[in-house]
Amino acid sequence: MSAWFCPEILLTLAGVGLILVDTLAPEQVRRRTPLLALLAAMGILGWSLWPESRALPTSWLSLFISDGLAAVFKPFFLFCLVAVVGMATRYRLEADEAVRGEFLALPFFPTAGLCLLVSARDFLAVFVALELVSISLYLLTAFHRTKPASLEAGIKLLVMGGLSTGFLVMGIAWLYAGAGTTEFSKLLLTQAGTGANPAVLMAAGLILAGIGFKVAAVPFHAWAPDVYEGSPTPVTAFLAVASKAAGLILLLRVFGIGAFALESMGEFFRPILLTLGIATVTLGTLAALPQRDFKRLLAYSGIAHAGFMILALGTGGEGGVGTVVAYLWAYLLASLPVLLFVNEMERLHGSTDLRHLDGIGRREPGPSLGFTLCLLSMAGLPPLVGFPVKLAVLANLWNAGERPALVVAVIMAVAGLGIYLTPIRAMYWEREADAIPARRFPPFLFWVMVMAGLLNVWLGFQPQELVRLAEKSLSPLPVLEAIRE
Amino acid sequence: MCLPAMLVIPLLAVGLIALGSRPKVTALWASVVNCIPGCLASGGVLRSGEILFGPEPIPAREVFPAKFILGMDGLSLSMVWLTLLVTVAAIGSAQAGIKREKEYFICLLLIGLGALGAFLSVDLFYFFTFHEVALVPTFLLVGIWGQGDRAGAAWRMTVYLMLGSMVLLMGLIGLYLSLPETARSLDWRVLGETVRANPLSPGTQRILAALLLIGFGTLVSLVPFHSWAPGGYASAPAPAAMLHAGVLKKFGLYGLMRVALPMTPDGWKEIGWIVGLLLAGNILYLGLAALQQRDFRWLLGFSSAMHMGTVFLGLISGTVLGLAGALTLMVGHGLSAALGFAVAGEISRRTGTSWMQDLGGLAQRAPKLWFYLMVAAMASMGLPGLANFAGEIMIFFGAWAAHPGLVGIAAWGVVLSAVAMLRAVRAIAFGAMSPAVSAEGVADLQGIRETWPLAALSLALLLVGIVPLVVYGPAQPVLERLLTP
Repeated sequence: MSAWFCPEILLTLAGVGLILVDTLAPEQVRRRTPLLALLAAMGILGWSLWPESRALPTSWLSLFISDGLAAVFKPFFLFCLVAVVGMATRYRLEADEAVRGEFLALPFFPTAGLCLLVSARDFLAVFVALELVSISLYLLTAFHRTKPASLEAGIKLLVMGGLSTGFLVMGIAWLYAGAGTTEFSKLLLTQAGTGANPAVLMAAGLILAGIGFKVAAVPFHAWAPDVYEGSPTPVTAFLAVASKAAGLILLLRVFGIGAFALESMGEFFRPILLTLGIATVTLGTLAALPQRDFKRLLAYSGIAHAGFMILALGTGGEGGVGTVVAYLWAYLLASLPVLLFVNEMERLHGSTDLRHLDGIGRREPGPSLGFTLCLLSMAGLPPLVGFPVKLAVLANLWNAGERPALVVAVIMAVAGLGIYLTPIRAMYWEREADAIPARRFPPFLFWVMVMAGLLNVWLGFQPQELVRLAEKSLSPLPVLEAIRE
Repeated sequence: MCLPAMLVIPLLAVGLIALGSRPKVTALWASVVNCIPGCLASGGVLRSGEILFGPEPIPAREVFPAKFILGMDGLSLSMVWLTLLVTVAAIGSAQAGIKREKEYFICLLLIGLGALGAFLSVDLFYFFTFHEVALVPTFLLVGIWGQGDRAGAAWRMTVYLMLGSMVLLMGLIGLYLSLPETARSLDWRVLGETVRANPLSPGTQRILAALLLIGFGTLVSLVPFHSWAPGGYASAPAPAAMLHAGVLKKFGLYGLMRVALPMTPDGWKEIGWIVGLLLAGNILYLGLAALQQRDFRWLLGFSSAMHMGTVFLGLISGTVLGLAGALTLMVGHGLSAALGFAVAGEISRRTGTSWMQDLGGLAQRAPKLWFYLMVAAMASMGLPGLANFAGEIMIFFGAWAAHPGLVGIAAWGVVLSAVAMLRAVRAIAFGAMSPAVSAEGVADLQGIRETWPLAALSLALLLVGIVPLVVYGPAQPVLERLLTP
């Protein structure tokens, strides 16, 4: 029976329950909704670490699979959910304060969608899960109704999301026409031993474009900066970490270990992925350098990080796939605390402009230290966890003999330092702004940021832990193993 | 246990200072107490040739083979002692009560910690990581507590050293990946054995030697990658310049000895003529540039970078004598550069300037300070009896057979250095008393409290100068092993 307690179902129930509480419950209970939401998210996260939570209902098994990758990444999304709900309880909705309950309940639905997405074994399941995520996110980005930027972000995401869904559906249709199936392992079987079928190649190309929108890979990245900037910060966090990660995991499952993992496809797509990666890393890094708004800066830096991961994937082979898994966890550990800090900064100052950081290092030494460590980790500086994963990307590129990509990656890794040193410089170098808010950061931020910083240092010294995680997630579909042998 | 203790003690001091203990006293005690495990470890090295701490290398292949192994042998012995001593002197001569005192002393302790970690690491991953641990506080020290164009100097250092580190990283990745898959390791003892049994192909060796030369060379300020150094040292606060020029810069030379020489011996021979050309550039070009300086700190910066050329001559000599000389000169240069920057710091702290034409007559006003200025100048000139002479003469003898022309150029370097230093001493110490020196409140070194760091460095210079055996004696077997193919 425990199969019915899988995180996806619990998440949906929790989301529905929270909305019901918010609508029907008496006032004194409603005031506790933030606490309830946080406890629910934490509870599901805790449960998802249990091996028993991984069983799926039998009737789902034709569409979904519970493998290593799903086991490693469901806690990843739930971790994001806890952070996002935590941030949402602190985010100022101003005129929209009345709908706070829904703002807390809504993130549960896209999280359920993401958990389904990582365990999908069929493109139809991928599509349904992705729609669940997208529709909830359209709502969430535009949630701050009285703020024009938020509405603008919602519209942009809606239009671009619709376009990407179009690509994806078109790709799935071509796939069905070309191969007669949409199931990953059956797709592998139909391709085994034969050359690449042009219809399947076409399908894979369209699907790649569809996923490219999700991870904001160049040239499908144009929506990201505006949407990140306009959305409420908790939603930005969800987009930047959870949604981006889901796109990369999908890419990894489809091109790395699943449907299109065979050599015949790889030969065709590896140069495409590498080109995509080079463009993404370059544009993301260079465009991030002049940004003055922190959320825009994170949008471009996120594009650059996606580029590094696509490069790793483009090298093919197990090393690349494992690198993406480790990179995603390192990215989560560095960028979620950064967004948490930005959320608090926005709460104090009313915007996310970089000038609010001026001189903050002296006023708030503890949180600033943690923030600095997380930023340096994103920059990939040793001894922080961002370094070993970037090292792994570079090593994979060297090993695969991709010299041009390697050179670009190295240059961009160095140039990327400038992105993260700019805020650090503002924090410690610049003089404090004239108007210092009377209020200070809450005490919890001190502990969260310091712990996050130390975690980044510790994993930087012990990257073996991440390797263990990557190894655990690397269980290719049995069919692929059989075909390769 | 002594080896990790040397890293834990500074870390504890950092924690104590962060919690509110008195910064200078805590930092000083920690760096003095750190010499106790240093002594115990040295005893172990002298008895058994090598001591180790950490997991034994496991032959089974792993995805990410980095292991936290610390080790100390005759070669790292002198580097570790250089670090311990210069750290004590730098912290001893650092001003208590400077702005943001806590962070200042934490940064100084972290540089010492990073340098010790790098010299004690047996694993290339941690070797590289610890060096970066030391670099970040260096940037902060220059940027926050520096003088003159400190922001420009800090950024220039950051960009140069990070680019150099990236090239170095490429070299290390390449070295790791060019080994057969079953024999890959990051432990340089294992690496050395593997390469000795089956050397790398000449093409690979050439590329790797070039990458390592540029990478390590940038960190050591080899011409033409030197331009961060003089300005950086001129801007840095005295203790930071002492630690960086005295200790951290030796990381590059140490790395060349440990990694480049034994792993790519043929490549190193092949690019020897390039190294010769560049080191001649270091000696002549930077020597002439040093002659032109009007600011004492800039002069010290140029002359410090210039002496690196002579060390490089020892490295390409191909003889044990030359390498032993390089090691002795590394120690001697570390001590004399630290002494020089300490004296320059004391002078400019008292008079408010380090322009040589504004000084003058210091010998009458502050005879003790003048004495240590003379010691630093004489050591830098290579006067017999002080450590630099011993190192230089060994290098000249060792390199004579292979590179007589370069020995001639290096001898000219001694002359250039002598002219530059004597002019500086004449301008600063003698002649009519300038207004800055005769001003109210310019005092000599006060008692033992201000003198002992300078005295300790001078005594060490004298000891190594008279008995250079203390440096190269324990290292000799290691150096012989490095040169045996």
